[in-house]
Amino acid sequence: MKEKKKDDGEMAEELEKNSYRFWIWSIASMIFRFCIILFPENINLSSRPELSTPLTSLCRLAEGYWLKQASMSPYSGSMYHGSPLLLSLLGPLTVHGIEGQWNHHLCSLVFVVSDILSAVLLRATGQQLEKAYRLNLRRLGLLKASRDRGILPCGDIAALVYLWNPFTILSCVGLSTSPIENLAVIVSLYGAVTRKQLFERRVPLAAFGLIMATHLSLYPATLVIPLIFLLGYGLDAPPRKLFLQTRDREGEPGQDKLTRTTQLPFLWKTVLHFVFWVLVWSIYVLVLCSLSLKQYGGLEEMFKRTYGFILNIEDLSPNIGVFWYFFAEAFDFSRNYFLIVFQIYMFLSILLPLARRLKHRPCFIAFVYLAFSSILKSYPSVGDAALYLSLWALFVNELTDMKHSFFIFCGYIGFSLLSPVMHNLWIWRGTGNANFYYANAMGYACFQFMFVEESVSAMLNHDQALKKATAEMTKN
Amino acid sequence: MAADNRYEEEEEVRTDDGSPITKPRPIVRLGIFLVAHSPVFSVVFSAAGVLALLLLPLLAKNTYISENALMPGSARSMLSNRDASDGSKLVKDIKNFRLNHEGQVQRLIGKYMSEMVAEVYYQKFQPEGNQFHPLHFFSGPASYTLLGNVSCASYGVNVVGIIRAPRGDGKESIVLVTPYDFINGGDYEDLSLGIVSSLFSLLSRVTWLSKDIIWLVADSRYGDYRPVAAWLAEYHTPSFKVSDLLKCDELNTADNFRRAGTVAAALILKVDGRSERFEDILSIYADASNGQMPNLDLINVVNYLAVHRQGFHVKVEKVVSLLSSSWLKIVGEIFEAVGKVANTLNPDWKFGIPAAEYIEGSATLASSLYSQALGIPTGPHGAFRDYQVDAITLKISPGFPPDSKARQHDFFLRGSQLLEGTIRSVNNLLEKFHQSFFLYVLTSPSKFISVGVYMIAFALLVASLPMVAASLYVDGCKALTKSTHNSAENFKSWKWLDAAKQVFALHLLGFIVTLLPYFICQVPGQHSPRNRSIMWGTTSSLLLVTFVTIPGCSPFSSRLHGTNWAILKSVTISAAFIGLCLMSIINFATAEIGALLLVPTCLLAQPIKPALRSRRVKSLLGAFCSMVLVTIGFPVIFFAITKGLVGEGLVGLSLGGEFWTWLESLWAWKSATYLYIGMVHLPCWLLCVCILFHPS
Repeated sequence: MKEKKKDDGEMAEELEKNSYRFWIWSIASMIFRFCIILFPENINLSSRPELSTPLTSLCRLAEGYWLKQASMSPYSGSMYHGSPLLLSLLGPLTVHGIEGQWNHHLCSLVFVVSDILSAVLLRATGQQLEKAYRLNLRRLGLLKASRDRGILPCGDIAALVYLWNPFTILSCVGLSTSPIENLAVIVSLYGAVTRKQLFERRVPLAAFGLIMATHLSLYPATLVIPLIFLLGYGLDAPPRKLFLQTRDREGEPGQDKLTRTTQLPFLWKTVLHFVFWVLVWSIYVLVLCSLSLKQYGGLEEMFKRTYGFILNIEDLSPNIGVFWYFFAEAFDFSRNYFLIVFQIYMFLSILLPLARRLKHRPCFIAFVYLAFSSILKSYPSVGDAALYLSLWALFVNELTDMKHSFFIFCGYIGFSLLSPVMHNLWIWRGTGNANFYYANAMGYACFQFMFVEESVSAMLNHDQALKKATAEMTKN
Repeated sequence: MAADNRYEEEEEVRTDDGSPITKPRPIVRLGIFLVAHSPVFSVVFSAAGVLALLLLPLLAKNTYISENALMPGSARSMLSNRDASDGSKLVKDIKNFRLNHEGQVQRLIGKYMSEMVAEVYYQKFQPEGNQFHPLHFFSGPASYTLLGNVSCASYGVNVVGIIRAPRGDGKESIVLVTPYDFINGGDYEDLSLGIVSSLFSLLSRVTWLSKDIIWLVADSRYGDYRPVAAWLAEYHTPSFKVSDLLKCDELNTADNFRRAGTVAAALILKVDGRSERFEDILSIYADASNGQMPNLDLINVVNYLAVHRQGFHVKVEKVVSLLSSSWLKIVGEIFEAVGKVANTLNPDWKFGIPAAEYIEGSATLASSLYSQALGIPTGPHGAFRDYQVDAITLKISPGFPPDSKARQHDFFLRGSQLLEGTIRSVNNLLEKFHQSFFLYVLTSPSKFISVGVYMIAFALLVASLPMVAASLYVDGCKALTKSTHNSAENFKSWKWLDAAKQVFALHLLGFIVTLLPYFICQVPGQHSPRNRSIMWGTTSSLLLVTFVTIPGCSPFSSRLHGTNWAILKSVTISAAFIGLCLMSIINFATAEIGALLLVPTCLLAQPIKPALRSRRVKSLLGAFCSMVLVTIGFPVIFFAITKGLVGEGLVGLSLGGEFWTWLESLWAWKSATYLYIGMVHLPCWLLCVCILFHPS
């Protein structure tokens, strides 16, 4: 007991040191962003197809706002395809300009703040997950106090990965709205993971984040599955069978009390609470949207121009996704067929099987879903990659044995550097063609798939290893 | 890249688990085999890469007209003696005009043009100073900015004449450029005006023209390139601000800039000093910035017409010093002998070429590679390439003295017939040039090596890098697991992170060093290039020292962190591989030359301490070789050696200054080679040095 106390004291000290370092690094990342924002003249980042898609481009948003100010529908002319709420929030910032040019500094400030906020929330989420990881290992009897130090502060790591990821930095200074979309996703996860009091989750916050994220980019709607699991079953844990084994082994009263808590049933009440709040927020958002679009065709117009635009893949301008080229080449009569196949592919072949296989790790499911949607999205940008990469960092403890990490890392670097080169070869020099850029996009998608596949298999291996270890302990 | 590495690991895992070892797939086994024998294979592959490079002149194919619409030489020339005498008259008038100092020559040329029913206008432009914009490579020419302050002291005036095509819709055009120094142009320069004006007088009458013809007489007082670039910039990006330049002179240029649609092709004509031979020599220059070439069809058309119709002696640039080199002669003779032997075995194998032809081809290839690798355009045609226009420079060296009237007439006739034929071919085009190659290297005016062939040499050269990286990675991981048992257990697959951090730190340093010249140029006061290079050197080394002292970043503190040099080398090689592959897409020639330097350096780099301790001949030899390679690999020393080889003589103290001037020219021309040197070559070289002196 005494030893444990001493350990705790040391740990607290270390924690303080860690948090000190975390804040230094996050402030440094903020300064770094400001530095890039202040010298943007040389590189016109906001026009890069890797950073701004038709959905996330701030230039298009400014255009939409201008149309709206001129009492036209912001969606007229197929320029703007985002949310009307974002238009009302960010639109006014885009017009305050000096000498006729709209001032991007104010918007950039919003993006930097949202990045920092995301990082802080991610850190809190990670701390909760780390605590749960520690607790679970202790319950399984695999974690001795002396080995406690091997556990990494995954919250800090994830937050710093988010802040210092070149993808995040580029999409933050490249004037795309993806930092705000990412923030909404992180808010929903934060709401579902952290608790206000002992058992009460921040259900309304989770529902709000989910609805906002869905409203902004549609694809995070898939997160409803992991969120329900999170609220129903609790945080990520090893498979429940293991706990049962441990409990059978040790009939100690103190341990018993602990293990009983792991046997939590599915919390229908919390989930219903969540569903209620989801309904409330969605009605709220819809009402706001319909108010702001009252003269311009109302909600129907919005659904057609935003979600319809996403699902129909109307804009075939090049991006780092895999669909634009395909649909540019596909015959018109087969277009609908392929659209349905591709959009359903994601739901049938990825969402459900994974939800079944990994239901004890809802946060990890959220990561996998986001990664898949960033690969198979209709208009992906590197901002989406930034989000799932930082969520991945929440599981560094579990994924220490991930295979081929160096290979995948090299692939990511190679392909993200190759992308502007191929674009240049095609657009500016004219010596390459669309195949060059699309080949790069396919290579990038390949590596993303490989990354997700390796992460999932490493997670399953981790569970396997835990099972082996507990079995050994039972034998002894 | 590390795919092989992956297979290796897969195999390991299987045996570790004790599960039944299933036989891996053939490709996996091949990968494992390659990685396991990587030293042998790396030597074989590198040698094959060098051999393939030497074989390239043999593999060159004859050029052919790929686009059917061109049909060069199928129409009879309509150019008459009258047109040629028009040209002669202009040349004579210009001479008289100059002698009598009657004012601006531009006016005279403009008058001539408008007599030929052309729309004429004058464009004023400002010579641009040396600006540091290496990153402009990634952005298009749209980011061109006009200089704010304008002085009337120095500016140039272009004269432009446009003939509207009777059959055209004004949406397409062909540009003819004659660089001409209006102040002190020589007799030979007058001849180029004569040729084009003969042609112009014909084109104003013909009915078959369907693309507008623009004749740009570029004021070459400030170099050939700048006036053309200025005209193109205004042609493509109209500025709505009234430039202050307009007020500078009585020559009114305001408000009359005319355009004529998309430029389909451009021909730049220069007449240069007398050729050594009796016949007229036509040299073709095609390299634009960053190794970009115009479509091969354009060169083919010009070459075909010049050789088969007009009887010019056509040549492309070559490295003259290579023509007399004895080792190349030996290589050529060996290839010739091998070709003969192969021919006796099977008469269908016809790859042997005579040694003399081989030497000629190699010299041309070397020159092509050199000018592409520099990334500096070889003439004003480079400016067109920025707007995706295919353009070449034709430099004609007449075989007669400029005052020989009799031959001048004939010369005008042939020169303008050549241009007429080319324009007629381009005039037939329905789309822009796309049929033939854009990525190729010339070995003679009628022989080329396409991208599919020359990439083999590069691929063989760099193929050894991923293999060696994989095998080193596996070795390093094993060694690390042995030495530090506890910490390694936790991070089985993340052992490369420390090494990656160091590699990243040095690449960051490389990036900063690359950007430093921008700040050095901002230092107030006049500094000689030598001083500037000294400034650069000192700041860079100071930065290096700072980086090395930061714990965690320095490769020398790796003992504390538990990295061993094998992993560091593996990560270095991976970085070099990525960098070289990227560069090979941007500019093949740079990547090829860079790979010739970097690949052996990276492969041979090994800590010299154990080698010195062991005192075995083999390891000492290895250490010596890597030391030599590292010394050669340093950019400044390589620069000096190249200068020596080219024959300019080794320079002593002024080396720093010359190196600075050279680099300055690279970034002023937006060459990606500069970025390559700073961000790929230099960091990898530094890392190799770190591995050499690794305290293991």
